[in-house]
Amino acid sequence: MKSSKLSSQFILHVFLLPAVVLTLLFNYLPMFSNVIAFMEYDIFAGWMGLGSKWVGFDNFAFLQEDWFYELAMRTLFYSASMLLFSFPASLILALLLNELRNQTFKKFAQTISYVPHFVSWVTVASLIYIFLSVDISGLVNNLKVALFGGERILYMQQSEYFLPVMIISQVWKEIGWGSILYLAAISTIDPQLYEAATVDGAGRWRQLLHITLPGLVPTTIVLMIFSLGGLFSGNFDQIFNLQNQVIQEKTNIISTYTYYRGVKGAEYSIATAVGLFSGVISFILLKIANFTGKKIGDTSII
Amino acid sequence: MDTVSIEVKNSTITKRNKIKVSIGERTFDLANVLLILLLCAITLYPFWYVLVLSLNEGKDAARGPIWFWPREFTLQNYEYVIRNPYIVHAFLITVTRAVIGSLVSIGVMFLAAYSLSKRNLAGRKTYLYFLMIPLFIGGNVVTNYVVMAKLGMLNNFLVYILPGAFSFFFMIIIRTFIEQLPESLEESAMLDGAGHYEILKSIIAPLSKPIIAAMLFFSVVSHWLDLSTNLLYVTDRSLYVVQYVLYMVVLSSSPGDLSDITNVAMRLQSQSSGSLPTPEVLKMATLIAVTLPLLFIYPFFQKYFVKGMLVGAIKA
Repeated sequence: MKSSKLSSQFILHVFLLPAVVLTLLFNYLPMFSNVIAFMEYDIFAGWMGLGSKWVGFDNFAFLQEDWFYELAMRTLFYSASMLLFSFPASLILALLLNELRNQTFKKFAQTISYVPHFVSWVTVASLIYIFLSVDISGLVNNLKVALFGGERILYMQQSEYFLPVMIISQVWKEIGWGSILYLAAISTIDPQLYEAATVDGAGRWRQLLHITLPGLVPTTIVLMIFSLGGLFSGNFDQIFNLQNQVIQEKTNIISTYTYYRGVKGAEYSIATAVGLFSGVISFILLKIANFTGKKIGDTSII
Repeated sequence: MDTVSIEVKNSTITKRNKIKVSIGERTFDLANVLLILLLCAITLYPFWYVLVLSLNEGKDAARGPIWFWPREFTLQNYEYVIRNPYIVHAFLITVTRAVIGSLVSIGVMFLAAYSLSKRNLAGRKTYLYFLMIPLFIGGNVVTNYVVMAKLGMLNNFLVYILPGAFSFFFMIIIRTFIEQLPESLEESAMLDGAGHYEILKSIIAPLSKPIIAAMLFFSVVSHWLDLSTNLLYVTDRSLYVVQYVLYMVVLSSSPGDLSDITNVAMRLQSQSSGSLPTPEVLKMATLIAVTLPLLFIYPFFQKYFVKGMLVGAIKA
C-alpha cells in the first residue's frame, strides 16, 4: 500500500519538474546574480563571471550622489501621481457604469472600455506621438492652432509635458480594466441593504455614499497594496516607449535608468547595485502595505 | 395595528421621495449615459483617426487636417506594409511564438496546478514557497540579461517561450479552479485503478476547458504585446516581433533602425509606378496592422477572461 502511494506520488513530482526548473533558471539565477553588485563584474571571468573581483560596497557609492536622489524621487513622484489619478478614475467609472439602467448599454460600454488594455504601450506611445506631432497629422496641434492660434508645439521634446502625457495615457489605457474588480465587488453587496435603504427613504446618492462606497473599501485596499509594491519600480514599458533621446535624461525612472546604463552601457555592476537597492525598497514597501492592509481591512496578499 | 400604520407611513414616504427626486434622477441618468458615450468615443477615436489616415493617400494627408473620413481613399499604404518583408516575417515569428509559447505555458502551469491541488502531496508547502518567493524578491533587468547571456538565450527563439512560461499567479488561478471540481469523480476513477496521469487526461483536463480558454487568451495577449523580450535579448533581425518593428517604425530615435524598415518602401517604390506613400501614413498603416488583430479576437473571449479575473480576485 505504501509503495503504491509513493509510486502514484512520483508522477506528481514529475508534473512539477518543468515549473521548478523554469523558476530556478529564470527567477533564482537572476536573483542570485545580484551578487555582481558587490563585484567589479567581468562577464568572462570564470563561470557566470563569478571569478570577478569582489569590491564590497564600492558600487553603492551612488547612494551619496545627487543624481540618484533625483532619480529615486522622480520614480516615486511619477508612480504616486499615476496612482492618484488612476484609482479614482476607475472607481468613478465603475460607479457610473453601475448606475446605468440599461444592461445592454452597460455591457457595450464595458466592452469598449476594456479595449485599450489589449493594446501595447508601443501602440499607445505611437498614438501619442502621432497626435502630438507638429506635422499636419498632429491632431492636438491642429486643434490648438484652430482654437487659440499661435505656434505648433513640439510637446514630446519638452520634459514638462511628460508627466501629464503619462497620466493621461495611463488613465486612458487602464480606466476600464481597472473598473472590473470594483464592479465585481459592487455585485457582491447584499441587495437587501439597498432595499432597506429605499424603504428608509434614502435616494440613490445616499445609497451610493452609505452602502456602495463602504462596500468597496476592502477591494480598494487590496488594489492599493498591489500597487504600492510597484511604487519604486514604475512601469518600464510605459516610460521607455514614451521617452525619446531629447528628454530621456530628465524623464528616466529607476528601471529605465538601469536598462540604459546596465544593458545598453554594459556597466553591469553599478546598474545591478541600483536595481538591487530599489528591489529592497520595493520589498519593504510591499511588507509595510501588507501589514497596514491586515490592520485596517483584514486583507492581505501574502 | 401599529405595524400596519408604520408600513403605510413608510410607503407614502418612499412614494413622495420617488416623485420628488425623479426629475433630478432623470437628469442624472441622461447625463450619465452621455458621459459614458463620451468616454467610449474618447477610447475609440484615436484608433479611428489613425485608421482613417492610414487609408488616405499620403501626400493628400499632408495637405490639410483630416478628422473623420478619408479624403482620398487608398489601400496602397497597406500594400506597402504587406510587401515589407520585415513586417511579414515579424508577423510569422509573433504568431509562432504566441501559439507555441501559450501551449507550453499552459502545459507547464496545468501540470503544476494539478500536483499542487493534491493536499497529500509530499513537500507541497516547500514547492509552493519555492515557486512563490520570486514574486517578492528577484533579479532586475541587468541580472536577467547576464543570466540570459550565459544560458545562450540571446538571439535564440526559445527566449520567447521559456522565461515567461511559468506564472505563479496564473498557476494558482488554475489550481483554485481544479480544487472546485467535484472530488467524487476522481475518487471513483482511482478505485477503478486509474493513475494521476489518466485522471488528469480524461477527467480534469476536459472539465477545465473554461479556465484553459481564459489562460490561453491571456497568454496569447501577453505574447502579442511583449516588446521587452525582443528589446533586451534579440538583435537578430530574423527574430524580430511585430511590437519591436512597430517600435522601430514609429518611435525609435536611432536613424539606422528606422531607415532599415522605411527604406523598404523606397526600394519597393522604384519597382512600381505611382506615388510613394509618405512615412507618416506608412507608420499609421503599420500601427493598425500590428494593433488590430488582437482587438478582433478579444470580444470572443470576453466572458472567459472576466470569469478568470474574478477567480483570481477572490483568491487574492
